[in-house]
Amino acid sequence: MGKTTYKRLKGSQSFRQRLLLATLSSTPIIIDEIRADDMIPGLLRHEMSLLRLFETVSDDCVVEVNETGTRLKYKPGIIMGGKNLVHSCALTRSMGYYLEPLLVLGLFGKKPLSIRLKGVTDDPKDLSVDTIRNATLHILKRFGVPSEGLDLKIEARGVAPEGGGEVLLTVPNVQSLTAVQWVEEGMVKKIRGWTFSARVSSDFEHSMRFAARGIFNNLLPDVHIFNDHKSGPAAGKSPGYGISLVAETTAGCYISADTAVSCGRTEETGEIDVERRERKPAEDTGVEIASWLLQEIEKGGVVDSTHQGLLFILCALCQQDVSKVRVGTLSNHGVETLRNLKEFLGVTFSFRPDPSTGTVILTCVGSGLINLSRKLS
Amino acid sequence: MAADDLMSSQKSHRMRKSGPTMRKKSEIDKKKRGVADNKQPNPRAFSVRSVVKAKRLKIRAVEKEQRRIHLPTADRTYGEPPPFVVVVQGPPGVGKSLVIKSLVKHFTHQNVPEVRGPITIVQGKKKRIQFVECPNDINGMIDCAKVADLAILLIDGSYGFEMETFEFLNIMQVHGFPKVMGVLTHLDKFKDVKKLRKTKQRLKHRFWTEIYNGAKLFYLSGLIHGKYSQREVLNLSRFISVIKFHPLSWRTSHPYVLADRLEDVTPPEKVQMDKKCDRNITLYGYLRGCNLKKGMKVHIAGVGDYSLAGVTALPDPCPLPSAAKKKGLRDREKLFYAPMSGIGDLLYDKDAVYININDHLVQYSKTDEENGEPANKGRGKDVGEDLVKSLQNTKYSVDEKLEKTFINLFGKKTSASSERKLEADAQSSPEGSDAESSEESQSDDDVDDHEMDVDSNDGKIKEKTELRGGRLRRKAIFKDEVDDSDEDGDDDDDDDEEAEGAESDGNEDEDGEDESVSDSQDSDEDDVEESEDKVLGNISKWKEPLKEKGRKKNPNLMHIVYGASASSATALINENNEISDDEDFFKPKGEHSKNLGGGLDAGHVNSEDCSKFVNYGNLKNWKEKEVCEDIRDRFTTGDWSKAALRNKNSVAGDEGEDDELYGDFEDLETGEKHNDHENMESGTNEDVEAAERRLKKLALRAKFDAQSDKSELEDEDNDNGDGINPRNSEAKEPGFVDKLKEELEIRKQMNLLELNDLDEDTRIEIEGFRTGTYLRLEIHNVPYEMVDFFDPCHPVLIGGIGFGEDSAGYMQARLKKHRWHKKVLKTRDPIIVSIGWRRYQTIPVYAIEDRNGRHRMLKYTPEHMHCLAMFWGPLVPPNTGFVAFQNLSSNQTGFRITATSVVLEYNHQTHIAKKIKLVGHPCKIKKNTAFIKDMFTSDLEIARFEGSSVRTVSGIRGQVKKAGKNMLDNNAQEGIARCTFEDQIKMSDIVFLRAWTPVEVPQFYNPLTTALQPRDKIWTGMKTFRELRSEHNIPIPVNKDSLYKPIERKTKKFNPLVIPKKLQAELPFASKPKNKPARKRPDLDARRAVVMEPEERKAHAVVQHYKLMHKVKVTKKKAKEQEKRKAYEAEKAKKEVISKKRNREGRRERYRTEDKQKKKMKRGQD
Repeated sequence: MGKTTYKRLKGSQSFRQRLLLATLSSTPIIIDEIRADDMIPGLLRHEMSLLRLFETVSDDCVVEVNETGTRLKYKPGIIMGGKNLVHSCALTRSMGYYLEPLLVLGLFGKKPLSIRLKGVTDDPKDLSVDTIRNATLHILKRFGVPSEGLDLKIEARGVAPEGGGEVLLTVPNVQSLTAVQWVEEGMVKKIRGWTFSARVSSDFEHSMRFAARGIFNNLLPDVHIFNDHKSGPAAGKSPGYGISLVAETTAGCYISADTAVSCGRTEETGEIDVERRERKPAEDTGVEIASWLLQEIEKGGVVDSTHQGLLFILCALCQQDVSKVRVGTLSNHGVETLRNLKEFLGVTFSFRPDPSTGTVILTCVGSGLINLSRKLS
Repeated sequence: MAADDLMSSQKSHRMRKSGPTMRKKSEIDKKKRGVADNKQPNPRAFSVRSVVKAKRLKIRAVEKEQRRIHLPTADRTYGEPPPFVVVVQGPPGVGKSLVIKSLVKHFTHQNVPEVRGPITIVQGKKKRIQFVECPNDINGMIDCAKVADLAILLIDGSYGFEMETFEFLNIMQVHGFPKVMGVLTHLDKFKDVKKLRKTKQRLKHRFWTEIYNGAKLFYLSGLIHGKYSQREVLNLSRFISVIKFHPLSWRTSHPYVLADRLEDVTPPEKVQMDKKCDRNITLYGYLRGCNLKKGMKVHIAGVGDYSLAGVTALPDPCPLPSAAKKKGLRDREKLFYAPMSGIGDLLYDKDAVYININDHLVQYSKTDEENGEPANKGRGKDVGEDLVKSLQNTKYSVDEKLEKTFINLFGKKTSASSERKLEADAQSSPEGSDAESSEESQSDDDVDDHEMDVDSNDGKIKEKTELRGGRLRRKAIFKDEVDDSDEDGDDDDDDDEEAEGAESDGNEDEDGEDESVSDSQDSDEDDVEESEDKVLGNISKWKEPLKEKGRKKNPNLMHIVYGASASSATALINENNEISDDEDFFKPKGEHSKNLGGGLDAGHVNSEDCSKFVNYGNLKNWKEKEVCEDIRDRFTTGDWSKAALRNKNSVAGDEGEDDELYGDFEDLETGEKHNDHENMESGTNEDVEAAERRLKKLALRAKFDAQSDKSELEDEDNDNGDGINPRNSEAKEPGFVDKLKEELEIRKQMNLLELNDLDEDTRIEIEGFRTGTYLRLEIHNVPYEMVDFFDPCHPVLIGGIGFGEDSAGYMQARLKKHRWHKKVLKTRDPIIVSIGWRRYQTIPVYAIEDRNGRHRMLKYTPEHMHCLAMFWGPLVPPNTGFVAFQNLSSNQTGFRITATSVVLEYNHQTHIAKKIKLVGHPCKIKKNTAFIKDMFTSDLEIARFEGSSVRTVSGIRGQVKKAGKNMLDNNAQEGIARCTFEDQIKMSDIVFLRAWTPVEVPQFYNPLTTALQPRDKIWTGMKTFRELRSEHNIPIPVNKDSLYKPIERKTKKFNPLVIPKKLQAELPFASKPKNKPARKRPDLDARRAVVMEPEERKAHAVVQHYKLMHKVKVTKKKAKEQEKRKAYEAEKAKKEVISKKRNREGRRERYRTEDKQKKKMKRGQD
């Protein structure tokens, strides 16, 4: 027992999932050659921040990074959870990046998790906090997570360059997750949306709303888009606006699409293309996201392509029962997730394509992970 | 006429209508008809007298009802259960082997020469039992207790209970209590019937107190011809067979294998080179507990943790009679399997396999070998026979072969290679004469003949023939499975087998091979399905091509996602075109789409970690109505029936694609599936509901079955006929539990449905090996001692390790010293714990939780209380019980179990604290501030304690401020603290600082490697302090300050109080000091002479005279009184002596009479 055997991995890909799964399955890992050949080698700022977040949430985890940051040694500890935790995220990625693994991690903690994250709340790369609040949390509930104590409170907005947003995440503990049979997509019965604007005129919001509603007019009358104009300290440090749309179906599935536009100055070299796109008018953004939502609905599946990874992870963490879910076209991230799940938890999925609808039905037997760190009362 | 008269004259029998006989008969009749006797003898006796009392009774009844109910647990064992493990345990010399032998004889009519290792027997149509004899050392007992489903405790009736029994009971209780049955033996030693009865009674009640009231204790009255009497063995076997086993939580969450065979598969060359090299071993046994996945780590009890290098499912060596198809009349059902005991035809030794066939069953002839096609198929010749014949035919003698290699007839890789070497040598010899090839030819012909192997006693040969199902390429399959099992994929092995395969069937083309693979898999699957699920019973032949199709397709996406695996390599070549068909549908549209082509490319290992799927490039113009119409039905505003159709289609997904190709099958399929398990798709709108309903029905049926079983059992339990059993009625069970049970059952059925849809390979990939499968586990790099010191009498337990259970951490447990262990346990004394599958030595620190939540360290465990124990070791989930020992030796007289405990939680850090009291003395006092020395040793230490409160003995409170280095004049002494007090303290005061200091739990964990040493040797680990001291003759260290000694106090001497003159002058007179010093010379008053007048002198003289007279008088009186008293005293003493004497005599007299009376009474009583 004195010598720990590390699982050896390479590259920076699916960093979050690797950390998450390593922690859940208590597998020590070594990741080599992290961006070894890149211009900026090693771990990026948000990745370091994520590591620090893992350290905050868990107890006695060991993180060793070499000087260039190209090699990471991670020995997971015990997930503690706890109240009044604070973590300031790196501003290179938005909160969605941190929240996605944290949601799952919090479920298997010793104590219910309540953490305040500070940083960028919305950006086009990651899930916006609105989407997490209104779609992702519903997916978790499907797996037997109690709805009490599962909440995401958006206390301040913050968009890309400067951030300044603040959210409060509370996640309850579970003993184990229950397997799902989730193949029925149902029909979209309502679409809800949330727009926000921070440090910019609320006209942006209105035009986005108007444009998005215009798209849905052909299909569904029950469309509601709420606006959320922030000013003062609650609006963060940079100007920007964004939209998040969620379609709810009769079978209780939530399909989402979102984006955020930052009107701040361009600073980083790596974000040129993002900045270029942002120049288009707010109406276009609204139309784009609304169309994207319809595209996702067209693809089918019980979750959108963005949530596929999370769905698979949750399925794999269930009790040793058969889970069956239907997703649309497998996304890249989904496929990567499947590989990681096989690697860490030994959970293999079986696939049954359904050509008539263009969807895939995935079946797996959960790994039977139970929350071991909970204290025996 | 006459006859009629005669007949009629005969009186007909008249039934009795009354009387005691009739009453009895009618009662019996009623009972038979099941009519309950409702008539109460006294109807008023049970009427409600007091409402309060009735209410209380009702509450009590409900509470009892609730206590009976347990949270239902999900049963995740699908398919044929593994044999139940019956552990026979008892102190040495109580007759354990004999009981097993008798039972085996009873079940199988087979004599077992000696009991070594588990013996599996078929007990009934649906039940198998594995007998295990528990060895006499505590390690064996622990391992046995962990696997036992039923423990038979043998007790020497003539001697009484022995410690082993209770130790075993306690071990079992901690590791989940399996069923227990006691058996009294040696009862023939009692000559006195009365004494026998009394002993039975006494032992039974003792047994009951230990387990529960009414626990079964069985009596084996004695030996007849060296065996227990048949009747009693029969009864015992009946009791064994009706016992129902309930799941134990640890075992249902961890897979485990009780190995009934161990083989060393290290390449012999390697062993020859270095006898002490690490070995590769294979272990065989039934999988129990839960499903075992391929990448799992295992713990071999007494050896250590290993990852499985390979897992292979073997055909059942001892199948249930229902599962095994009987081929010929001569094929006797195999009712037992005991590879290490030496019964049956094969005997497995450490490095050889001996075949043992009765002479009259074999004819040593070579006639069959001449014609290539032996005509003995119908006769069902034993495989063993063939083997023996081939052995006769070999060019090399057995000894010779043994010298070169160990015989390994059954296609083990290493031996195969060695065999091949021999073969190559003997290439010139005719085919039939070679051992290997003759075997091969035999199997060639048994194309569809895998019943034959059922009879053969060996798992491997069976596996071989079965896998050879249609073709020669047995090795390919074997390789396949091996490859599946170990993901690393040993290249050299593959090469070997490839070569072998090429050798054996060069003429076969790839396609043929592929077919054979799938064929054999199909048959496998069929078997499994048939045996496992009655609902899915007959899958008709026509479905096979469909299945094939479905299976071929499945690896496609799987292949895309999981990358190339060895199993699907050939399939891919065949189906390239099909993949391209699918690609339109299942090609992710992301930028890294080429990433999906195979495994992880080097170029994309650094791809960005982003879950969001963004591809705005090819957005359709959703403003157009036509575009919208495409997805109209996905909205509630669309066509609901179409949407429903979408869902329906989805379920039938895999068949849907084959419409064009297999159109003709489609009708059949749907037609079939109306009454088959997949009728979901055939329904119309409410197919989902229908499926649900069907599932519910299945669940209900299963539940009903379970209940009927249970009620039967209950009837048996309380069959003393108490009429209506109020607890037995299921209707009384609250709805919640019912609902839970139903949900679980539905879930189980759903799982079965889903899993049975998959083909065997995928299923194993997804689910792992099911419980009840006979597995071959290959483990590499095991210390050679395990093989060298292998003792079949000791159980080899291989337990799966769950997530996180192989990493070590601190565990906190609630521990109680066992009440029979004589001593309390000391903190930091190593104990040996048995926890989960493991046994290891660790160093605990005991603690107790204070009222404020602090964990205070205890030096010793409390005598009769639980305490907390914190120790370091491989983590186990909370709620796992464990048992602690200090000494494992068998020749110890006392009770070896020192403590029992349950793990509460685990942590990566400890929170135990102990009290610390720092003592210091003031070295300088300034008003309320004082500088304290001796309390701390350094300024750093002071910094740590800044702000903590201190106190003097007299109770003056204070606070540590800072290190007082600078304050002290030029004295640069470290560790002087400045403290402030609420009042000025004295230099003579002692200052205390009370604090709590964390206690570190030693990170010590030492696994017990009892299997790596001779079994009779006692394992020794770290020694306790006491042992070390006694060994090295070191006395117990004594702190002299802690000793009690008489308190010596010096009398305090105070200096005289000096009041300054000035002050004195100002004082009021009352306060002025008045003790003037004595004068040297008398003062004037004293010195002056007094001259009296003559009258005065006379008066004075008179007074003087009177005074004198009075004085004389008083002295005289005094003398007189004294004389009187003296006389009186003398008188008194005299009297006292006399009375004392008298008293003594009186007492003596009294005692004597009392004694006499007592004796008399005693005599009277007797």
